[in-house]
Amino acid sequence: MGAKLALRAALVAILLVSGCTAQPETGPPAAAFTGTDVMYLQMGITQIAEGSSITALATERATDPRLKALAAELQAQWQEELAQMQRWLLGWSQPLTAPSTSHEGHGSLHMLRPSDIAELRSSPDFDRTAVSLLLGHLGNVVETARMETTSGAYPPARHLAETVTARRQSQIQTLLTLPATP
Amino acid sequence: MRRRFTLPALTVGALVASLFVAVSPAAAHGYISSPPSRQANCASGAVANCGDIVYEPQSVEAPKGSMQCNGGGSRFAVLNDNNRSWPAASVGQSVTFNWVLTARHSTSTWEYFIGNTLLASFNDGGAQPGATKSHTVGMKGFTGRQTVLARWNVADTAMAFYACVDVNIGGGGTTPPTTPPTTPPTTTPPTTPPTTTPPATGTWRAGTAYSPGNVVTYNGVSYTCRQAHTALAGWEPPNVPALWARN
Repeated sequence: MGAKLALRAALVAILLVSGCTAQPETGPPAAAFTGTDVMYLQMGITQIAEGSSITALATERATDPRLKALAAELQAQWQEELAQMQRWLLGWSQPLTAPSTSHEGHGSLHMLRPSDIAELRSSPDFDRTAVSLLLGHLGNVVETARMETTSGAYPPARHLAETVTARRQSQIQTLLTLPATP
Repeated sequence: MRRRFTLPALTVGALVASLFVAVSPAAAHGYISSPPSRQANCASGAVANCGDIVYEPQSVEAPKGSMQCNGGGSRFAVLNDNNRSWPAASVGQSVTFNWVLTARHSTSTWEYFIGNTLLASFNDGGAQPGATKSHTVGMKGFTGRQTVLARWNVADTAMAFYACVDVNIGGGGTTPPTTPPTTPPTTTPPTTPPTTTPPATGTWRAGTAYSPGNVVTYNGVSYTCRQAHTALAGWEPPNVPALWARN
């Protein structure tokens, strides 16, 4: 934490210094992105695709109107976030999905499996299963976004990650209160 | 003018990021969402100022065998703090605990405790959990406010996930009248006894109108009513000496 603050201070200092030097304006600045940004965007796109399989079902089949509304909100936000994520990756000439081998070791445990969606489809208590699946999935989404916020380099992507964290946190809060207030 | 600052900011930003890229995200895996565990109450905002746990209620991971709400790890000590006003969910003698899983580890057992009493253990024999996980657990006669400790023992690591759930067993959202309730009861006792009320003797039952002198049994123990009242869940004779005298 101390090191981080020191770096922040250094960054501010450099910004202040740079403000005093005359720099030529040469078109748009080169985008500084790192592998972390690319990984975040690729994971984000995969997570949106997975999550959409829950929200597509939930907007049709949820009994609780609050769950239905939340699924619709997610769909709209995901559409917008997905477009942004794809634009950056395409602009950087990076693949939109990570090579499948990169998930070996840790990823698959954190991903929704087709069997999970099948279980949701046939669940006798659709709402409860959907809430559980969404809470788990959005929890993973927040973790990925926080990784970008902590370690990502490209400021607009970090900003998007902050927006995503705030949105998903608020949705998680809503989902956590659903079972308590039937 | 602003643009001039952008380039150095990006460069330094990249430098800062490269120093922190080695920090891996917390490995997060699961928690009890309902009745809400302490970490769920933090994440939902029901309890404030919990720290980082609000972002990762699923991360309460520590070596197996702890009896602490945070698993005895270095993080999330707030979960052990009984002085926080953790909301207690009103439950009966049988409680269904619902887990949220963010990683579906193969599992050896799921265990539930009150104090040192093992309420239940479910052996998954190394199987991977499905989309959802829930267990229905008997409270073994415990009543009133209790903290249930749940442990999810992962099969292929030395780690477990911990969740404490505060419950009010037999409490229908009301406070037993041994002490003046701080808030009015959320349920109003019926002004007249229900017509289906059984005779005010025999086994104690919520919803029954009792008069002084009525004798009931509860958990095999006999009690005499001390003042007229209509029984509510949570007002079981052993909980409320103001209403019941043990015979």
